[in-house]
Amino acid sequence: MAETHAETALIFQPKPARPAPAAASGPVAWMRRNLFSDVPNALMTLLGGYILFVVVGAVLDWAVFGAVWSAESRRECLDAVGRAGACWPGVAEWLPNMIYGLYPKELVWRVNLGFLTLLLWIAPLFMPRVVSKVNIGVSAVLLFPFLASYWFHGGEMGLLWRVFVAAGIWGFVWVWATALSEQFAGRPIGQTLLAALGAEDAADADQRRILRIAAALLYVAALALTLAWRLEEVGTRLWGGLFLTLVISGIGITFSLPAGILLALGRRSDMPVISMLSTAFIELFRSVPLITILFMFNTMMPLFMPEGTDVNQLLRAIVAVCFFAAAYMAEVIRGGLQAIPRGQYEAASSLGLGYWRSTQLIVMPQALRIMIPAIVGNFIGLFKDTTLVSIIGLFDLMSMARAVGEDTKWLGLFIEPFFVVAMIYFVFCFAMSSYSIGLEKKLAQGRDRG
Amino acid sequence: MTGPEQAAAGGAKPARVIEIAGLNKWFGDFHALKDIDLTVRKGERIVICGPSGSGKSTLIRCVNHLERHEEGDIIVNGVTLRGDKGSVNAVRGEVGMVFQQFNLFPHLTVLENCALAPMFARKMPRREAEALAMTRLERVRIPEQARKYPLQLSGGQQQRVAIARALCLRPSIMLFDEPTSALDPEMIKEVLDVMVELAEEGMTMLCVTHEMGFARQVADRVVFMDQGEIVEQAAPEIFFSNPRYDRTRAFLSQIL
Repeated sequence: MAETHAETALIFQPKPARPAPAAASGPVAWMRRNLFSDVPNALMTLLGGYILFVVVGAVLDWAVFGAVWSAESRRECLDAVGRAGACWPGVAEWLPNMIYGLYPKELVWRVNLGFLTLLLWIAPLFMPRVVSKVNIGVSAVLLFPFLASYWFHGGEMGLLWRVFVAAGIWGFVWVWATALSEQFAGRPIGQTLLAALGAEDAADADQRRILRIAAALLYVAALALTLAWRLEEVGTRLWGGLFLTLVISGIGITFSLPAGILLALGRRSDMPVISMLSTAFIELFRSVPLITILFMFNTMMPLFMPEGTDVNQLLRAIVAVCFFAAAYMAEVIRGGLQAIPRGQYEAASSLGLGYWRSTQLIVMPQALRIMIPAIVGNFIGLFKDTTLVSIIGLFDLMSMARAVGEDTKWLGLFIEPFFVVAMIYFVFCFAMSSYSIGLEKKLAQGRDRG
Repeated sequence: MTGPEQAAAGGAKPARVIEIAGLNKWFGDFHALKDIDLTVRKGERIVICGPSGSGKSTLIRCVNHLERHEEGDIIVNGVTLRGDKGSVNAVRGEVGMVFQQFNLFPHLTVLENCALAPMFARKMPRREAEALAMTRLERVRIPEQARKYPLQLSGGQQQRVAIARALCLRPSIMLFDEPTSALDPEMIKEVLDVMVELAEEGMTMLCVTHEMGFARQVADRVVFMDQGEIVEQAAPEIFFSNPRYDRTRAFLSQIL
């Protein structure tokens, strides 16, 4: 058949692609298309605009234009504007307490420095040429808390604690050495160090030995530093406000992800004992309200502990929050794991990758990426759930806000501090949410059919 | 070539690289493979065909232990598959596999897909593994796509990457599980060409496929399966022109 037409075959010429028809642009065209495309749409736009105007106007009237900015007591505020305007002086006076709780005023710099350390620790994650970002992030999760614990608590260091605090110092030095070396010399810290020592051409085994010795020396130096480091003790009873909220939720969030991963893997395990234990843990903590778990840990844990051991109340609350968060996170991760097709596991097995390798290299990166919105949603939920610790007598941000209105000078001043607390929560949660959206976009680059 | 019949007639036989004897496999109550005996010699190219559900994919998936068999022996390169880590890893190091749905890792680039197993299953340094991966990508003629992600490639290109990925472990046996069944017709040839080249280089191949042209061109033996059994096996010229069983004839009349 084909041969009969061969000599007269027509040549197929594809049509050149044309640009899409130019859309009307500019703000007027945009408004016409999106806000006033037809009558119902225009009415909805006007109604929405009116509601927005009224609500925002009322809030601004109350919070800014009609507010009292300087007064000695709530009485003065009420005499000046009644209830029509906010009374900010009370909040201003209590703001340090809302942020730091009862932490001694002259030692508050330690809290600030602790959080500054965290910012410095993760700053290299935003340097473009730094490649060890995973290690830096992991070190921030695993090592920073030890350093922070001494900044925040201080006091006499036991041997075990000293070992960990030294590890924290070690980690901080390592992070910045790595960051500077990769950012400015473009090579790992190990190579920079070897070059500085003139040992670039040594045998591999020797190089490794040199690096190991260098790491050990740094650790010894850090340990020596802890001997000289002496901070006044600030018991956790004095911790409070936003600071306490960040400590509890920060630990809860960083604990929940790895623990959730392990629990989810455990629940899907082929080994019946591990699977049963994981499932039991998850279902137990998921089917009890957080507030109950907090109560149980607060009142019952001391009963189970050997006599004489006094577990710190804050620690009890943190353990409760961590377990609760881990159980929820496990189910989120399990959802991600179920979305990974069987073929991925099979391909990894057929290439000779074992269970842990394929989990680490193939399955988890994909599962976590799918679940970013849910994971961050969990983080945000946990951050807000920590307000419940006020029930067992910890003075978190919410309870400090409530304390403002119980001050005799500012008796009954509740709305203003709660307004500020709402703003603070919004800023933190919105930041987390925006970061997750940014992360999703970044990870999606080039990876979809494009 | 070195088919079993010729080898039997002509003295020195190539070594047996796969020996399957009395293999039985169940999925729950479903008897998926029934008393399978199959011997493959070094350098042999075997095409397995049959209707869907006949157990052909299950058979080759047993060879690298993606499916656990309940009865019988599978010996690959002298290693008996027992389901323990040692024998399974030893066998998987020798056997490469290509899947119908490619099963590339979508979060890794083409190069990373190929270099992954040498790096983590064979502890090869990254630089060396990537160099090896590039040579395999050149062999399947897509080195220029090395930095792209799998989903940015066409189906045919993805399948060629999958072949390159399997070749990175330097296997002595390749299993193909319907490698062209998920491809658009225009892309089948580019994958088959790569497979033909592999066959000509002397790779031992077990290939589940419906591409009878490929079977005619390169197979030393065609195995026909139905309902979990090997119905018959023969050299392609005999298999296609003079099948012994009515079931084989019925099957061939459907697909040719």
